[in-house]
Amino acid sequence: MTVGGWQPIAALDDLAPRHVFQASLDGQELAVWRADSGELNAWENRCLHRGVRLSIGFNNGAELLCRYHGWRYATGTAGCTYIPAHPADAPARTITNRTYPIVERYGLVWSGREVDGRPEEVAELGAHTLVLRALPVWAPRSFVLDALVDHRFAPNEGLDVDPAEVEMTCDRRQGSIVLTAAHGGSSSTVVYWVQSLDAHTSVIRPVLAETPDDVIAVLRHHARALRELVDRVERTVPSRSVEPQGPLETPVVVERSAGSGPHIEVRVRRKWWTAPDVAAFELTPLAGVLPTPQPGSHIDLRLPNGLVRQYSLTNGPGESDHYRIGVKLEVDGGGGSTLLHDVVTEGDVLTISGPRNGFPLRRDTEHTVLIAGGIGLTPLLAMAQAIRLDRRGFELHVFVRGEDALAFPDVVESFGADATVHVALSPAQTAGRIADVLVAARASHPGALVYACGPAPMLDVVRATAAAAGWADPAVHFEYFSNHHEIDDSTPFEVALARSGTTLEVPAGTSLLEVLRGAGVALPSSCEKGACGTCAVPVIDGTPDHHDVYLRDAERAANTTMLSCVSRARSDRLVLDL
Amino acid sequence: MTIELYDYVLSANCYKVRLLLSLLEVDHELRTVDFHPAREHRSEAFRRINPMGHIPVLVDDDVVLRDAHAILVYLAAAHDPTGRWYPTTDARVLGEMGQWVSFAEALMSSASAARLHVNLGYDLDVEAARRDAHALFRVLDDHLWFQEKAGRTWLCSPEHPTIADIAVFPDVVLSEEGGVSRLEYPAIRRWCDRVKAVPGFDVMPGVFGLGMS
Repeated sequence: MTVGGWQPIAALDDLAPRHVFQASLDGQELAVWRADSGELNAWENRCLHRGVRLSIGFNNGAELLCRYHGWRYATGTAGCTYIPAHPADAPARTITNRTYPIVERYGLVWSGREVDGRPEEVAELGAHTLVLRALPVWAPRSFVLDALVDHRFAPNEGLDVDPAEVEMTCDRRQGSIVLTAAHGGSSSTVVYWVQSLDAHTSVIRPVLAETPDDVIAVLRHHARALRELVDRVERTVPSRSVEPQGPLETPVVVERSAGSGPHIEVRVRRKWWTAPDVAAFELTPLAGVLPTPQPGSHIDLRLPNGLVRQYSLTNGPGESDHYRIGVKLEVDGGGGSTLLHDVVTEGDVLTISGPRNGFPLRRDTEHTVLIAGGIGLTPLLAMAQAIRLDRRGFELHVFVRGEDALAFPDVVESFGADATVHVALSPAQTAGRIADVLVAARASHPGALVYACGPAPMLDVVRATAAAAGWADPAVHFEYFSNHHEIDDSTPFEVALARSGTTLEVPAGTSLLEVLRGAGVALPSSCEKGACGTCAVPVIDGTPDHHDVYLRDAERAANTTMLSCVSRARSDRLVLDL
Repeated sequence: MTIELYDYVLSANCYKVRLLLSLLEVDHELRTVDFHPAREHRSEAFRRINPMGHIPVLVDDDVVLRDAHAILVYLAAAHDPTGRWYPTTDARVLGEMGQWVSFAEALMSSASAARLHVNLGYDLDVEAARRDAHALFRVLDDHLWFQEKAGRTWLCSPEHPTIADIAVFPDVVLSEEGGVSRLEYPAIRRWCDRVKAVPGFDVMPGVFGLGMS
């Protein structure tokens, strides 16, 4: 049994829109599907959660949903984007299904183990070909290849010629058999590949080296001729001749991730001004595939001058070959946006982190209210596209300073009546409009959720107004750009790590995060300003002094979690579950 | 009077009738027959309704019908104002529907028999039943593949599904319960998706819909 090399696993026509094709290659079952964008996917046919076949799942055009508990995996990366049983949490980035190489050539879809490049070049197959009917045969691949050498058919120009009178020539190649039938001056050539479903079942996949006039007649002729061959093979294959197929350990995983650590190198594929003071960037990896974006996630962008800035991904579902961000020019912002606007150009290489999601979207509500202020639109764009794909209701409200200040207007326009742009309102008018929106949505959709992102004063208004209008605290989600609170770090405190049995001193002027890291605790962090939630730690005892803008009021009051980058202690001592 | 269907939820033949009732949006009541393990269909009481001791049985006012395929013909003729599910004006289509209903009968002694062996312990030659099912599936996959190439969607020539699709679908879509894989039959799998996409489609245990909700 030769394992390795490209084999056809389907005809391109087999991958109907929104269909999930069940395939098999050398005994390994695959779920093969095409996204609406045309992207092809070949994955292990098994949900990471409970092992159910993904081929009975649901292809929504950009994600594959497992039939059993609805886990979603993104096209391209196979990364998990949503777990319905944990609707408020972002799935860990490491939850990624096994992917296999997949390419299209000659109208067939190919995969294989330990392959690179493309399937073999076949000189006979030019611009005009016809994929003939493939037939399964209950015989091992090598047996079928041997039998194909004696296969006979008639040329297209003489389909009713007695096959015995046709002159056949055969060219046996590395992985294919090329047969030419000639009679009375006309000839036709067919290339046959044989796919090994498993040790004792194969599929013969022929491609005709021309496009005939009467396609159906030619298809029928070849299907009939091949059926006779299949019958003959199945009559003659010795029933116990099955080639022993060694256990195929774990399937070969193609390492496609561009990295999960803090450093991924990306190139600026495209830069454009989506509004006069907003530059948009499309970033593609230098190698491999980017980790799967989720609605609401952000990346750290490391700038050439050493600054690190956070930007939300605007990617909709299915957009997995690049990250797209919008950068608003902040003249007084410390230089990050100036650099991105004025210096960074297409073709430049930047370093980013993998995406983190402190602002995850629940995808189980009938209606979602999205409220954006200015560049706060970016994470909500990703959310709106995900909700639209799910065919659930949403209303997007974007507050902008002027007509032309709207970023990504093409995407906003694509939402039609679901999006409303509120232009040039005063703070008081904005507050009034937000109140109208929240009161109306609360009345029409009592189970709705609110997601808001924008400047701090606006988010404060959203939260206060929502509470006054009867929205429950857990229904209102928000993401601040940055922390506008004054952080008083003048008081030292003691922190006990319950699991490690260590006690540490946090001196004045030093953050808890710094002290923990100094003691060897590996904690992820991103903005380090109390806005993104990446460095949250669980609190067992003591009263934190919260300085962040990430936690909701109820979470803050519960005192069971705190952001280690900015928050400190009201009590002399905190006990952390670390 | 409401239509009554003597029904067992796991029966593929009863599912054919439930499916068409759902597609036609016909109000009905289910009379559950304890097929397994009580074998109620063989009871004296049930034999007064159907002397042959089979389900399903349909009661529509004074019409009492046994046999799933006969019931499909009746329901389509009596309760489908569009006349699409059982078109009777075209001789060719009538012949095609008859041909595929006979095919569905052949599935009952092969794919369906294998499923009864696995699920309910029926004593029969399951390997022979599976072989016969695969032989039928090859014929069906061939037919559906060439239908696709000719721009057709369903078993018969019309541009809409007919009772032929309803008669054949259940034993095909449930075949894996009997150990008959459809891995080798891509055209059958696509046709199953298309049947599931028909408005009014109904599910049963082991048969999922297309979307997620």
